[in-house]
Amino acid sequence: MSSAWFTDLLTRLTAFLRTAARQNSKNNLNEELQFHLEQSIQANLAAGMTANEARRQALLEFGGIEQAREETYRQRPGWLLETLLQDTRYALRGFLRNPAFTVTVIATLALGIGATTAVFSVVDRILFRSLPYAQDDRLVSLVQSFEKQEFTLGGFYYEWRDNQKPFAQMTFERGTGACNLTDANPLALQCAEIAGNFLPTFGIAPVLGRNFLPEEDLPHGPRVALLSYGLWRTRFNQDPNVLNQTIHIDGHPTRIVGVLPANFEMPRLQQTDLVLPAAMDIAAQHTVNSGIGYPMWAFARLKPGISIAQAKAEMEPLFLHTQQWIPAQIRQDFHLQVRSLRDRQMQEAYMGAWVLLGSVLAVLIIACANVVSLFSARAAMRERELAVRSALGAGRGRLVRQALIEAFLLALAGALTGCALAAVLLHAFLAIAPTGIPFLAQARLDLRIVCFSILLAFLCAIMVGIVPALQKPRPGALAARAIGSGNRPGVRLRRSLVIAQIAVSVILISCAGLLLKSFQNLERQALGMATSDVLTVTVPLNAERYSSGRAYMDFYLGTETALRSLPGVTSVAISDSLPPDGNSGIRFDEIFVAGRAPTPTGTGGIVIVRKVTPDYFRVLHIPTLQGRSFDEKDRNASGNVIILSKLLATRLFPQGDAVGRRMQFATFQPYFALDPTVFTVVGVAADVKNDDLASQVEPEYYTVRSSDHDLDSWGSRHYRFAVESQLPASVMAAAIRAQIAKIDPTAPVHVEPLTESVSRLADRPRFETALLGFFALTGLILAIIGLYGVMAYISAQRTQEIGVRMALGANRADILRLMAREGIALLLVGEVIGLATALAFSQLLRSLLFNISPRDPLTFLCVGSLLAIVALIATLVPARAATRVDPIVALRCE
Amino acid sequence: MPTTAESNVLLQGTLDLLILKTLAIEPMHGWGVAQRIQQISNEVLQIGQGSLYPALHRLEYRGWIRAEWASSENNRRAKFYSLTAAGRKQLKAELQSWDRISAAIALVLGRKAEVPA
Repeated sequence: MSSAWFTDLLTRLTAFLRTAARQNSKNNLNEELQFHLEQSIQANLAAGMTANEARRQALLEFGGIEQAREETYRQRPGWLLETLLQDTRYALRGFLRNPAFTVTVIATLALGIGATTAVFSVVDRILFRSLPYAQDDRLVSLVQSFEKQEFTLGGFYYEWRDNQKPFAQMTFERGTGACNLTDANPLALQCAEIAGNFLPTFGIAPVLGRNFLPEEDLPHGPRVALLSYGLWRTRFNQDPNVLNQTIHIDGHPTRIVGVLPANFEMPRLQQTDLVLPAAMDIAAQHTVNSGIGYPMWAFARLKPGISIAQAKAEMEPLFLHTQQWIPAQIRQDFHLQVRSLRDRQMQEAYMGAWVLLGSVLAVLIIACANVVSLFSARAAMRERELAVRSALGAGRGRLVRQALIEAFLLALAGALTGCALAAVLLHAFLAIAPTGIPFLAQARLDLRIVCFSILLAFLCAIMVGIVPALQKPRPGALAARAIGSGNRPGVRLRRSLVIAQIAVSVILISCAGLLLKSFQNLERQALGMATSDVLTVTVPLNAERYSSGRAYMDFYLGTETALRSLPGVTSVAISDSLPPDGNSGIRFDEIFVAGRAPTPTGTGGIVIVRKVTPDYFRVLHIPTLQGRSFDEKDRNASGNVIILSKLLATRLFPQGDAVGRRMQFATFQPYFALDPTVFTVVGVAADVKNDDLASQVEPEYYTVRSSDHDLDSWGSRHYRFAVESQLPASVMAAAIRAQIAKIDPTAPVHVEPLTESVSRLADRPRFETALLGFFALTGLILAIIGLYGVMAYISAQRTQEIGVRMALGANRADILRLMAREGIALLLVGEVIGLATALAFSQLLRSLLFNISPRDPLTFLCVGSLLAIVALIATLVPARAATRVDPIVALRCE
Repeated sequence: MPTTAESNVLLQGTLDLLILKTLAIEPMHGWGVAQRIQQISNEVLQIGQGSLYPALHRLEYRGWIRAEWASSENNRRAKFYSLTAAGRKQLKAELQSWDRISAAIALVLGRKAEVPA
């Protein structure tokens, strides 16, 4: 209330002062000029002229009073600012008079700027961000690739390290694994093991304390650890006295020697709370793991002037040399891979990010085309106004400035709205984003791209705003508008813009359509198992409390019994993993069928292996196709039974006589010897999606995790329970936690419906589809606005023509046809160009598509017709409006 | 009758110098300034009001002259301009630069001119 009153007062006061000041200086100037004139008359009279002649001569001599006044007025220091304000006021008045134009331009700009900024902020982190390492472009990942895996082997690493030339430094990490902080308030952590020279090689300095000492990186050296910044903050309150404190990691007393910087990240982006020295036994690397050493991931810093290709070429002989230790059977499948760290990190995210960036650029193009089109339509309508102002003495400069101010104001409004929109969009993206996309969580609105978009908006607006002001008014522009519109300036430009917009929309929507279809295929594919009413329970156990396989077995079996006793639980199974997650596998040639020659080595690919309890098939509802399923007796019987998936059974026994056959497996100590354990096939189970959602089903076999005979097989903290229950997950989760706490109160328990774990696998395609769909929709809306705008403009221009035609006897249908023809022609040309381009380039999407051809005819047909229908409506609405013109009004209109 | 072309012949910035010089003698109103310049230049330099008043106002905004309303010789209210301290300094600077330039131009044109000390 009082603030409104105050504002009002302020406004009045400033207005009064301003007018008063201006009035005063105007009056003074008038008086001064008047005095001059009178003096001149006096002088003439004194020279002997008559009164009339004196006055006439004086006025003649004086010249244009108004001009002088204007020129004098212009000398005021505030003059420029004042006219600027005047132009601004004029522009604002113009916008208010034409709200449809104003709102459309601002909305278009806002959508364009908002979408571009938000998306760029996301992909910038993936595609263009600088890595938090010193001279990150000199860092490479140096691995052997084997099938889908990439790693280095300890046995080779040291050989390479000692003989290589292209690298200034080589280092490695041994991966990240679950570990527990076993002090009071135990905490499940991720611990990474790194080489002693890891931090210096990457150029990372601890913010507190120091790197590992050489003696700490030796086997059986003192146990030390570096904290991640996050752990230091959340667990230790950023206490600087944390140095040299002893904590317990999985029961081992460990001394904290440093804290990593806040932006520290492992080169493979694993989540890491704590880093420990790898403490490798170098000599042992030629004996452990069949003599090839433990897996690790090697990185190196290129020497100055060495390119990645050179480095790879120089490493190739060393690689071939170390290949001798790889068994001959699989040697050919190993390849040396040297690539930049950035490529290594972003392998899967790259494609999606580029598609996203492309789509948002398409939206930006459409938005800019719209702005250009709207401005040029407006310019054509204002041609007369400009001509009038020019005739009244407005200079070219003044008109240009006016146009610039209008463009500036619109761009400013669009940019501000756009930034707000970008913030909202980014928020929405992050909310729906899967966890797997690197750095998405840290995406922030990027100031550079905000500036870029705003600049772009200004350029668009200025370019189209300024051109008509620069043009000399056409002769006749002052006269009544000419009949006919087809050849007005800008119409051709606008037509081509509409065609371009439609074409770009077609491309966008085709891509979105393909992704959507692919995503549907992914979601709706048969998994071969039931996922509803199944809860997965993971319990990362504290290794210190479990000293033997039996201790683990007791926990797992005790928990199994406890869970079974819960009301509402139908069945419980234990497995090392659950589909559709891939599990570890063996190679097909490691399978030996009794009474048959071994399969030639190096053929056959992967076979997935799962060790399960008998209820596994019951919980997941995997049907048995032949023979029988596992039963409880199999757990204790000494006979080793095996169930094959249909795919594996068909490959091994094409005649369908799998049940009852005996099989053995290769062992690797010594290499490829026959394991004496003989398995008997008791059944064939249906295939289950077992290697991620988007890949082909792999062959698989199941063995029983027996209760007593194989205590060693229980020694893991990562087995999963699958619990079938009709009760709601939240209710069950609490009951499950309570039961497990009774058995081991220190064990962290993680309960999740299986549907969620499955759906998480589809997170990335869902995200990509949602984003691309959003942009396609935005693009479509903008293109439709453009089409509508042009059609409405053209029909407004032709009002008089329509009036004449109707007066001469044309009926409404004729007019409608006349008007619609124009729009449909634009639409068809745009569609054809768009579809052709989309078909030509959709191949690029192939790696993102699942079970759908990049040229899926149905999708393209749907996209074509959808766009045709929407665009037709955008054409017909203004065309119909044109038919309602009253001929009398239309003819009088000018 | 002096043509406007004749007054346009004045070099850019010269008008300012003439006004400053004229006002250095005594405070004067616009008409007076124009008359004085005309007289002293033997009717060669005629200053039209179309350029006189913008120049006067420009100089005023720059702070080289100041204006006061006072009674004129025939008891009419008129705006009298006088030189400020900054204006005096400016006049001095402009006179020097004028001397330099006119000497230079004279040299180029091959006329004998007194080179200023």
